[in-house]
Amino acid sequence: MNLDTAIQSILNKVVDAGAEGDLIIDQGQSLSLKAQNGALEEHKVTSNRILGLRVIRDAKVGTAYSEAIDDDAIHTMVDQALLNASYAGEEPAERIVASEHQLQTDDALLCPPDTSTVEEKIDFALTLEASLAEKSKVQSVPYNGVQAGFGQRQIFSTQGLSASARYATMSAYAYALIEEGEVNAMEGAGQASRTFGLLDKDALVARVHQAGLDILHGKPVASGPYDVIFDVETQSALFSVFLMMFSGKSAKDGVNPMRDRLGETIADTRLTLVDDPEDTSGFGYSLFDDEGSLAKRTTLIDAGVLTSLAHNSVTAAHFDTGNTAHATRGPRSTLGVGLHQLKAMAGEETEEDCMAGQWLEITDLTGLHSGANPISGEFSFGASGFLHDGSNRVQPVRGITVAGNFYTMLNTISSISDTPLWNWQRSSCLPMIRFANVSVSG
Amino acid sequence: MIETNVAQSVIHHGLELGADFAEIYVERNLSNLISTLSDRVQSVESGIDFGIGLRLIYGHKVLYGYTNQTDEDELHRILSELAAKDLRDPQATATAFDFTTIETKHPAAQTLSDHADVDSKVAYLLAANRAAKASSNQISQTRGMCKQREQHVAIFNSEGLATEDRRHYIRATLTAIAADGSEQATGQWGDGGLLGWEISEQLDPEKTGQEAARQALVNLGAKPCPSGRMPVVIGPGFGGVIFHEACGHLLETTSVAKKASVFHDKMGEMIANPAVSAVDDGTLQNEWGSINIDDEGMDTQRTQLIKDGKLTSFLVDRVGSEQTGFARTGSGRRESYKYAPASRMRNTFIEPGEHAFDDMIESIDHGIFAAQMGGGSVQPGTGEFNFAVTEGYLIESGKIKHPVKAATLISTGPAVLQEISMVGNDFSLACGMCGSVSGAIPTTVGQATLKVDDILVGGQE
Repeated sequence: MNLDTAIQSILNKVVDAGAEGDLIIDQGQSLSLKAQNGALEEHKVTSNRILGLRVIRDAKVGTAYSEAIDDDAIHTMVDQALLNASYAGEEPAERIVASEHQLQTDDALLCPPDTSTVEEKIDFALTLEASLAEKSKVQSVPYNGVQAGFGQRQIFSTQGLSASARYATMSAYAYALIEEGEVNAMEGAGQASRTFGLLDKDALVARVHQAGLDILHGKPVASGPYDVIFDVETQSALFSVFLMMFSGKSAKDGVNPMRDRLGETIADTRLTLVDDPEDTSGFGYSLFDDEGSLAKRTTLIDAGVLTSLAHNSVTAAHFDTGNTAHATRGPRSTLGVGLHQLKAMAGEETEEDCMAGQWLEITDLTGLHSGANPISGEFSFGASGFLHDGSNRVQPVRGITVAGNFYTMLNTISSISDTPLWNWQRSSCLPMIRFANVSVSG
Repeated sequence: MIETNVAQSVIHHGLELGADFAEIYVERNLSNLISTLSDRVQSVESGIDFGIGLRLIYGHKVLYGYTNQTDEDELHRILSELAAKDLRDPQATATAFDFTTIETKHPAAQTLSDHADVDSKVAYLLAANRAAKASSNQISQTRGMCKQREQHVAIFNSEGLATEDRRHYIRATLTAIAADGSEQATGQWGDGGLLGWEISEQLDPEKTGQEAARQALVNLGAKPCPSGRMPVVIGPGFGGVIFHEACGHLLETTSVAKKASVFHDKMGEMIANPAVSAVDDGTLQNEWGSINIDDEGMDTQRTQLIKDGKLTSFLVDRVGSEQTGFARTGSGRRESYKYAPASRMRNTFIEPGEHAFDDMIESIDHGIFAAQMGGGSVQPGTGEFNFAVTEGYLIESGKIKHPVKAATLISTGPAVLQEISMVGNDFSLACGMCGSVSGAIPTTVGQATLKVDDILVGGQE
């Protein structure tokens, strides 16, 4: 059975069963290369497709997925989804969004044709590893790779929706083990682009090598409160851990600590946060969310005031507010809420102003998945970075922890710079933010 | 799942392309996930994963591809594409398949392919919710989860291996959320294993609900944790994550072969305090991290990693064995057909000792008792690791005092292994998921209560 026939067959079966539904189809191909000691260590080629069905019957929701599209698999998937719905509690607000949109992203912009050859990518991978390995004090480059991926998400519904988004992602990364005597350090970095030709091997090698040399002889600092600035990557990671604070679904489920705080000042008045899916320079660009609603810019915190949560159609109905088009759903998962790409508006201070006096620059955080509790806001992470006096690095710092409460910390911002920067994965764009009196253990 | 003649043809094609070794890994995975939110069923999800992973090995180089399609032409096409840059005259000859039937060491009764038992699972989760809510009116919400999975794999290789295995996984947890005004805290309890829903005979919803609620309430009233270097007593069961992160990952040939492990050249040397003996054991019946065969088709085994402080074995997969010269230990594991296998842990634990819990506490003037641990991570090259304390208490003058808020413990593997000075006898295991190069796999951690003499505690005070 071809895919078009399968899609129509599935939606027909859903309607015949007296239900409504939507079908997500994810397809992709990828190439992954890893090098070791001057030779390719791994060469991986993949191709996959998965269908995920959501049905709603008698106000009950069920989901099921399949990686096969033969008759049996499609029958089983539809039957399973309907059976699963029969066990679920009633959710009257969850409906398939009425839409006859025919949506399609711009391939020329988001999925340009890959003009590079496999040979060029292999050469990139080998040269990346070899160039870094021959740098001073580099013991090995145990983790490295080049990846090229092409994907497509399609959504079809019994209510007429037909939406398609295609994307290309080219990326490269490298981690080097750097040693001097008995001291060693592992540092890494990555790059991402929609076009292979924009990956800059030399810049990546130089960045990883310099980062390793800089941190190699780091020592703990004395325990105590420090003003802290997270670098572009760690700040993005830190915010991403606590994005549940904007989730309308978590608010509906009663676990979002911000659920009753709309209109209140929850952060320093210099902080304005928006979710901006319309910016094509980020990889979080979205034409539509996973219910097929048109994505749009949403201001979450305006001058410190919580102005909106992120909603899908269900949470918006629950709170009697507008749908902000933040629905998330994968073929294997149920309907949720998530941001597209987070941005903080530029502050009024220069980076030099932000860096006045003594402060701690954090360049690496460990334990992000285990050391944070988004429900309480508490966190404690392993960290490394640099102690600064103004813009001068006084000493590299390793073997420390930073701890606190993220939601409290939003109120201890002492400055925000005027230059937002994308992280390397281009998922968020944030300026330098200085947090006062963060607890550091050394 | 795949016709024998197709498997033979694909293996032959791989060798014709000049590979030293060719392997097919076929997987069909049934899954069922039930989620509850307090007293209602939030969702029931199910699905079928199916795919075929193809691996060619040229020397130490691994070529890997996968597809959802089973037709011979597509499988040949992937191999040809993979090997396009490595084509050479045939180097090896395929051995005829020797079909082997696996004798299961981990019997399962109520399996997913027989029945999903949704009603029974829902009843368990809702009963656990009621028990949690009955513990205190400060328990504002619970989240329940019961996931059952049946993984059917078939493995063929050019050395004549032709075998199949079924793995039955079940796991159920309840998370309780305690609230006091704007403050919230969480606690979690659950269990799981390599068996079917007959695990319900061992599960007590009262205990599950009450324990999740107890942890949440303890954390709700916790004071800021002190920070700095100090002794820490780490509780049994999931406390074993310290060994998993501090040492286990560093003994996988995935890191050792690249010399990206601080222990790569320490075989036979004392790498830990003599109080420490550690094992990775895939044979423990029905344990979460157990297996019958690994994902390269080798029988599982019990591997003594450290004996009385001395390094005695690494965890070795096929490629790791060829790279390091150490014998395979049945440790080649992967999340699914989407990953090439790599050396990974199974049920990994520090063996029990003889010390009493009270003796450990009384030996500390100022420190922390980490009763429950969360997850962690490690940087193999440097051995720097971290893991989270999710239920902790202050120890002052040999006595356990008030609860303290979440903290992270950090150190390096070589350092902390020398600092484990006392190991108790209250041994238990706990299940978790371990993420690494070949995806997220079920692993068990374990230990008795133990004392670490000196480690950095990342608290808020």
